[in-house]
Amino acid sequence: MYWALIKKLTLREIKARYKQSFLGFFWIVLNPFFQMVIMSFVFSKILKMSDLGVPYPLFIYAGLLPWLFMVNSLQSAMNVFISDSSLIKKIYFPREILVLSTLLAKTFDFFLSFLIFILMMIVFKVPFTFFMFFFFLIFLIEFLFVYSLALILSSFNLYYRDVQYLFNLVITLWFYLTPVIYAVEFFPEKYRIIFQLNPMAVFINAYRQVLLGGDFPKWSSLGIAILLSLFLFFIAKKIFEKLEKNFADVV
Amino acid sequence: MGFMNNDNLAISFKNVSKSYPLFYQKTLKEFFQALFTQKKTIEKVEALKNINLSIKKGETVGVIGKNGAGKSTFLKLIAGVSYPTSGKVNVYGKVVPLIELGAGFHPELSGKENIFLNGVILGMEERYLVEKFSEIVSFSEIPMDFIFTPVKYYSSGMFMRLAFSVAVFSKPEILLVDEILAVGDIAFQKKCLDKMNEFKKQKVTIVFVSHNMEQVKNFCEKVIYLKEGKVEYQGEVEEGIRRYLKNNF
Repeated sequence: MYWALIKKLTLREIKARYKQSFLGFFWIVLNPFFQMVIMSFVFSKILKMSDLGVPYPLFIYAGLLPWLFMVNSLQSAMNVFISDSSLIKKIYFPREILVLSTLLAKTFDFFLSFLIFILMMIVFKVPFTFFMFFFFLIFLIEFLFVYSLALILSSFNLYYRDVQYLFNLVITLWFYLTPVIYAVEFFPEKYRIIFQLNPMAVFINAYRQVLLGGDFPKWSSLGIAILLSLFLFFIAKKIFEKLEKNFADVV
Repeated sequence: MGFMNNDNLAISFKNVSKSYPLFYQKTLKEFFQALFTQKKTIEKVEALKNINLSIKKGETVGVIGKNGAGKSTFLKLIAGVSYPTSGKVNVYGKVVPLIELGAGFHPELSGKENIFLNGVILGMEERYLVEKFSEIVSFSEIPMDFIFTPVKYYSSGMFMRLAFSVAVFSKPEILLVDEILAVGDIAFQKKCLDKMNEFKKQKVTIVFVSHNMEQVKNFCEKVIYLKEGKVEYQGEVEEGIRRYLKNNF
């Protein structure tokens, strides 16, 4: 019975942003696109990265889109209870609906940007393969991972607003530990373990494999990421259930 | 009494107490300071103390008391957004709060979009909203051409009228009213009051929080007088008001 509510809240997010600015939907697509252009220019033209076997802009874009999905989702989700505080104090509905709707709106952005990726594949003449369908599976796991983090961070942020500032710091570090702008192969073998334990690295590698590599994702790494995400989801649910009862009192 | 007949019950409070943390440390700095100075992390303030009461289906109950007596907490517990620290609150039926009208309205969305958004938040089905859309708009007295304008351009009166109109179409079984009849001009207030009387006839349970004793006297069948988190009196409207006024003036 809450599906209608989820739908309406998701549309509210999407529509409101679209109406706020002149270029509307284009910003959603243009922002990651230009980030990709800048990064490609810096790393391929100025720093002269070694050849990766795939066009560098595509390589970066395949990593940047899932990365931005995670960052944008968490940033919005963290403030959702604060910006909708009047709603929380007034009427009952499962609180995670607000988090879920935020993520669904970001999913919309992600898929919109992904259309540009498909266009770029055509431009760079990267062949389409049936492995590309694994994209949806990988996204599903990433969604679960991000949703779990969003549940935890959004409820913590109600108690301690420092969480969002801490988050921005952590994100910077996390970005460099995740192969968005570089390839895992640039690292010596013995350090590569960190990429297996970092779900974002696993997802990004998997996206690249199925989209650009024309291959199956690496099941062993993906398996670890699935288990990690499920475990995190379980923990997040527990934490959220415990804290949500006090939301109306602390917000 | 051998058994409790719950069929006629709308709301019941059994030994309900609610305490709030007086302050949480909102920043980590405060948290660490508290750790080192051994200040208590959370001080509690008791908003409601051992409340026992029941409200029957179809009753119109006025809740009176000074600011800080626990009236808002009382409504929050019924609405199910806040939970008792101890005791048990039972609510039978769909609760619609007429509190903080327009919560969930988005300023960038049009009146129409907000009607649907808020309607769904209040638990209405989309099909029902489509059906009732023009009725809601005409009740709100907002001109049709304004309905497609973002609500940020509405006057505060229009905003409140629209929010109120959505809420009254939500088929409530239990209505929580908090000083609502200050919405809009006198003509619209009269309309609100008419609507409330209509609900009363339809046997909707109404919990009516007000500082306006005249309204409570005219509208309610029963009164609950809260004082410092306790039920000081419940029963006869005239008697409750008399005690409240005696205590305060």
